[in-house]
Amino acid sequence: MNPPTSETGSQFITLLASLMLVLQVLLAVQPMLITNIRIFALQSLLLAAIAGVVGSAYHAGHVYVVAALTLVGKVLFLPWWLERLVRQIKIEQEIRPFVNMPASMLICGALTVLAYVVARPITSLERLGSNTVAVAIALLLTGFFLMINRRKAITQVLALLTMENGVMLAAIALTTYGMPLVVEIGIFFDVVIAVMVLGILVFRIRETFASMDVSKLNELKW
Amino acid sequence: MLLTSVLCVPFVAGLACLFPRSRAGVESINISGFVAVLVLGVKLFKSVLANNENAVTEWDGFLRADALSAWMVLLISVVSLATSLYAVRYFRRDVADAVVNERRFREFYVLTPLFATCMFLVVLANNLGVMWIAVEATALSSALLVALYNRKTSLEAAWKYVTLGGLGLVLALFGTIFTYAAAIGKAGGETLPSFNWSRLLAIAPQLDRHLMTLAFIFVLVGYGTKAGLAPMHTWLPDAHSEAPSPTSAMLSGVSLKIAVYALLRFHILTTACLGSGFSGELLSGFGLFSMLLAGPFILVQKNLKRMLAYSSLEHVGLICVAVGMNAWLTVFGALLHMGYHALTKPVLFFAAGNIHQQFHTLDFRRIGCGLVHRMPKTALLLGLAAVAVSGFPPFGLFVSELTVIAGGFTSQHAWASVVILTSLIVVFCGVLNKLAGLLLGPSDSEHAAEAISTSNVAAMSLPLATLLLFTAWMPGSLRQLMEQAANIIRGMP
Repeated sequence: MNPPTSETGSQFITLLASLMLVLQVLLAVQPMLITNIRIFALQSLLLAAIAGVVGSAYHAGHVYVVAALTLVGKVLFLPWWLERLVRQIKIEQEIRPFVNMPASMLICGALTVLAYVVARPITSLERLGSNTVAVAIALLLTGFFLMINRRKAITQVLALLTMENGVMLAAIALTTYGMPLVVEIGIFFDVVIAVMVLGILVFRIRETFASMDVSKLNELKW
Repeated sequence: MLLTSVLCVPFVAGLACLFPRSRAGVESINISGFVAVLVLGVKLFKSVLANNENAVTEWDGFLRADALSAWMVLLISVVSLATSLYAVRYFRRDVADAVVNERRFREFYVLTPLFATCMFLVVLANNLGVMWIAVEATALSSALLVALYNRKTSLEAAWKYVTLGGLGLVLALFGTIFTYAAAIGKAGGETLPSFNWSRLLAIAPQLDRHLMTLAFIFVLVGYGTKAGLAPMHTWLPDAHSEAPSPTSAMLSGVSLKIAVYALLRFHILTTACLGSGFSGELLSGFGLFSMLLAGPFILVQKNLKRMLAYSSLEHVGLICVAVGMNAWLTVFGALLHMGYHALTKPVLFFAAGNIHQQFHTLDFRRIGCGLVHRMPKTALLLGLAAVAVSGFPPFGLFVSELTVIAGGFTSQHAWASVVILTSLIVVFCGVLNKLAGLLLGPSDSEHAAEAISTSNVAAMSLPLATLLLFTAWMPGSLRQLMEQAANIIRGMP
């Protein structure tokens, strides 16, 4: 690998990663459920693209496999499945968050700054796109915020998925070649099954409570 | 092929339960599967001992069993077998009462062996990434079991279990990735170094210290959530109280300890890398906090199974503190405690299951008092198991708790031992006070309305009998296995 390619590759990865973060903030303020699912699909597409860039920069075959799995699973299958679920249970489209839009924006900004502070000691590692660790941690933290801020069960699933995107970004950023293939594939299937299980629960909650509002799940206390 | 068959037998037994027409067929497949697993577990334990402190490996080191793994395999197989024996009567009654339908009945018998398979994979996987995948899979396979009754409360519990567990496991994955990143470029310039625990331990002193510190914190919070350590324990009483009793027994008896096992692997690695007590101190801190928190919640608890769940929280806390103190005696005591607790807790949940089926509630006030008159057999078992779990002699938990406390006093951890002792006394008072109120006293209806045959009672009391047996007579080989496991945890193989 010659240095110029690595330089452009690195910049390209940083660009894509920051776009992922922008989409995350959009997710925090966007009130429509279906649009949220599509934003998540777009974010996963960017993740797949990053994996593709890493694969071509290092000529690493198995990173392409990761990119392909992300593309099939998180860009096409899961969003399709979630949209189908939303249609099936005929829920109203608009999500009412606990915190209003401008405040959410500010909180996301603050969390991103925090992530950069936390990641400073690790970003000195001289690897391709290692400065995306900060973005990964930011995705994790804003994912936490999304999870707390939303009442609808499906948006909590989406928050969990975006956090998982953040972890996969960290895996690519920190480890050059990604993790061993068996681990990557295992994680991928776990995520798909997790969403399925959550989907089944959402379906049953909707049937039993006639609502998908998780703030109604409050009967069990200490 | 021993390790592979430990994984395959329950997996096949689970899938096979999809086919038979009759319910009796499903039950017998389940029981015979777990009997076979127990036999394999004992064989594994013998071959690990015969291997002279070297681990048994298969598939080119992909599966690996050392003394610690073999000990966990034994615990999982014993608790699974006890559970499957009890489940027969429990679900027959539930089906008869139309509490569960045919589909949910199958769901239980398919998912429980799969749940056990995932737990076996956690303890047998050498690759830390695969271990994470298996821990996540245990959470997913048990989530639908928690929601089996489809009540409002059980759905709520399952939802909390999956989302909180999922959050925790995302953090654990972050930690796992940091651990991997710490190894890159350290193992002789391999581009894709091995992610095997045994390999990482061999190069532990060269790992990136900063990343390993960060990794352990993430892993502690992540797997700590799954182990139910306070303050990440909020899902635990919900899931344990809402699940069907056989599942509660599995969750409390082994599933919590599986998460502790995952933590232990990282604890060993971090200690070997940093050469300090950093990870041990963190473990002790979280453990002590869990123990202190459990006591007050038991004192004010109104629900039988929730009280049992908080008692599990206390025992997991004790195990973590004992490992964190890192003296030989305390680590050995922790392993002993894992075993004894795994034999006691299921009996308590089984008895609670009988009570729930009889009265359709677990609320102390609504059940009333004088249970010895109304359900004499269940009451007797519940009483005995409660005495055991609060650490009374002649039951083993007394021995293991005493070992831990004595180890703490002799290894400059006197203050920690005092805290342990205090919280054990609080829990002791709480559990016995609540259960004395439930079991003793006058009863409004004097006739015993309990429909349990002698064989059911035998199935329920089997773990308790095993506990008594192993308290009175600990075989030398088992003791040797635990000593080896304690040495592994202390980083002196």
